[in-house]
Amino acid sequence: MRTGILKTFVMLMCVVVFATACGGTSESGNAGNNKPESADPANAVEFNPDEADGVEFKQLREQYGAVPKPAKPIILGAVSKAFENEYWRTLKEGMELGVEEMAKGGIDLSIDVKAAQGEGDEQGQLSVVKDMINKRYSALLLSPISDGNLTPGVEDAKKLDIPVINVNDGLIATAPYFVGPKAIENGELAAEWIAEKLNHEGDIAIVIGMPKAFAARQRTAGFENWIAKNAPDVKIVEKQNADWDRSKARDLAETWIKKHPDLKAIFANNDTMALGVVEAVKASGKDILVVGVDGIGEAYESIKKGELSATIDSFPKYKGQIAVEAALRVLGGQEMPRVIWTPQALIDSSNVNTPAEEIIGWEKAVFE
Amino acid sequence: MNLFNRMIKNMGREVGLLVTLFLLVAVFAIIDPIYLSPANLLDIVDQSTINGLLAIGITFVIITGGIDLSIGSIMAIVIVSVGWFLTKSGMNPVLAIILGIMLGALIGAFNGLLVTKFKLQPFIATLATMSIFRGVAYIITKGWPVLNIPQNFRNMMDGDLVGDFPISIPILLAFAVISHVILKKTRTGTFIFSIGGNEEATRLSGINVDFTKVVTYALCGVGAALAGMVMLARLGTGEPAAGQSYELYAIAAAAIGGTSLAGGKGSIIGTLLGALILSALKTGLVVVGVDSFWQYIATGAIIAVAAYFEVVQSKISGFGKRLLGKI
Repeated sequence: MRTGILKTFVMLMCVVVFATACGGTSESGNAGNNKPESADPANAVEFNPDEADGVEFKQLREQYGAVPKPAKPIILGAVSKAFENEYWRTLKEGMELGVEEMAKGGIDLSIDVKAAQGEGDEQGQLSVVKDMINKRYSALLLSPISDGNLTPGVEDAKKLDIPVINVNDGLIATAPYFVGPKAIENGELAAEWIAEKLNHEGDIAIVIGMPKAFAARQRTAGFENWIAKNAPDVKIVEKQNADWDRSKARDLAETWIKKHPDLKAIFANNDTMALGVVEAVKASGKDILVVGVDGIGEAYESIKKGELSATIDSFPKYKGQIAVEAALRVLGGQEMPRVIWTPQALIDSSNVNTPAEEIIGWEKAVFE
Repeated sequence: MNLFNRMIKNMGREVGLLVTLFLLVAVFAIIDPIYLSPANLLDIVDQSTINGLLAIGITFVIITGGIDLSIGSIMAIVIVSVGWFLTKSGMNPVLAIILGIMLGALIGAFNGLLVTKFKLQPFIATLATMSIFRGVAYIITKGWPVLNIPQNFRNMMDGDLVGDFPISIPILLAFAVISHVILKKTRTGTFIFSIGGNEEATRLSGINVDFTKVVTYALCGVGAALAGMVMLARLGTGEPAAGQSYELYAIAAAAIGGTSLAGGKGSIIGTLLGALILSALKTGLVVVGVDSFWQYIATGAIIAVAAYFEVVQSKISGFGKRLLGKI
């Protein structure tokens, strides 16, 4: 009997000590916010397209001129992450649109865009790729679920001389080409906009996506580093992950708003979470800027309504077309740089009604 | 004296949970006094409502010795369906809520049929329907969220009742009270416990085990439907991706609350306290600013510690009895 009570007491003490220990961790964690400690994820992956040898898409067109006209019919195979997500659906539309436009111009070209069964289906995604390789598609445009799951497929493609272009993240270290936005710039653009709106001072917070995701790490790092370097009086008082979940992001923001009455802005790693944060801000009745990333349709609607402050759009519809163009350039024998950075822009109330073509200065591909 | 003795004996678990909750609150309040502000305390309760509704529903199933992994996906179907009732059909919100509850019950009953009529193990059956229901939610919406949920519905499920007091809390309490009454005061409740204790003996004593089980899965579906509608009201948008992995937190709340995964044991009050403890912990870790990676460990530790209470609780209650006996 004695021991029972003793044990209980010990367990309770454990809870107390544990919670206190956690409190200790947090303080040192907060103090560390000023240092750009988050810059090291760059070293964690062996290939980082943000820092690799690359070229902006517009420069690419200037340097390489017209797209070589393919000599024989071409079938492109694209494998996306998951069509559950609007972003990947739009990228698919972009690729199909790109192919359609080129086909209208007399190029013999078709595309097959497939996806895995949800963002957890790493093996399934690999079998889709292997099937495309077995059917000898002309080139592959791949957006792997994880940094490693498609590597065996890429090796097979190499043996058969099928060019592979890695589109957006996850990252395939062994793929010869990467087409996508500078993820770090997502965060930098958001940081710059917020700092300016706040006159370079005030308390702000960050809602992180799934911590394992490259995009989440880089967006957060870009944001923090920019603030640390250019706006030392802007203080990042909170940062936590909400796993891309709208409801979790809302709950986080609700708690933060109570804890920091002077909170001026919240940056979320994607629009879905930003829209959850908007609900918490609306309920609080406070004037807090909310900035997301992705430029999904709902974010545009919310900006038009004056609720979401801004989003960083990386224009998947045009990125898809760029990926198709890059594939044709590779198939035409052009020796391109490792990375092609696709356009992105900050969208707020001032340009939310401007067509994307105008914002990024889009022009159709020109053939030889 | 006698009352105290009975409380310790019957409510030992709940008393232990209350102590844990108070300790948790006290520790966080010492680290950061803002944790104790009425606004934050209200947030803790408010943020436990979705998980609380799910957890109460799953408690019925777990007491029979079953499990329901599909509740997050049921939530998603109800969210997008009710979203459509409201936006596309312009349905009266009260009618939409009633239909939403019925839909949840129906989907839940389907799980129950798989488990009883097709004799699938609950874990496997609901693992399958977790995927199937999620697929349904994606297929009917083609992956797009349902936008612009009308304000009158939002006020009904998540509006402010008085001041900042959200209506979702009374919704949770009402569901809890009804569930408690079903479990403790009705014959169905007795059957539920009896099935969890010894299914074969229950069957032999002439009780319709299959029907009772289907009822528990349907009630679980109702909990998921209510949770879904609160979420729909809270966010103003219905996403087919909503509620992923929420089943784990619901199971955790029930387990912390003393519901035995082996069946035969559990209470709604315990589950409710379990959900509150998880929410108090989560909010506390956010207020204190603990790195989110450590939050995984803290959450797991609480589940383990609470489960350990189960082991020592019998000893405490025995000790209490002896102590009182001496007096």
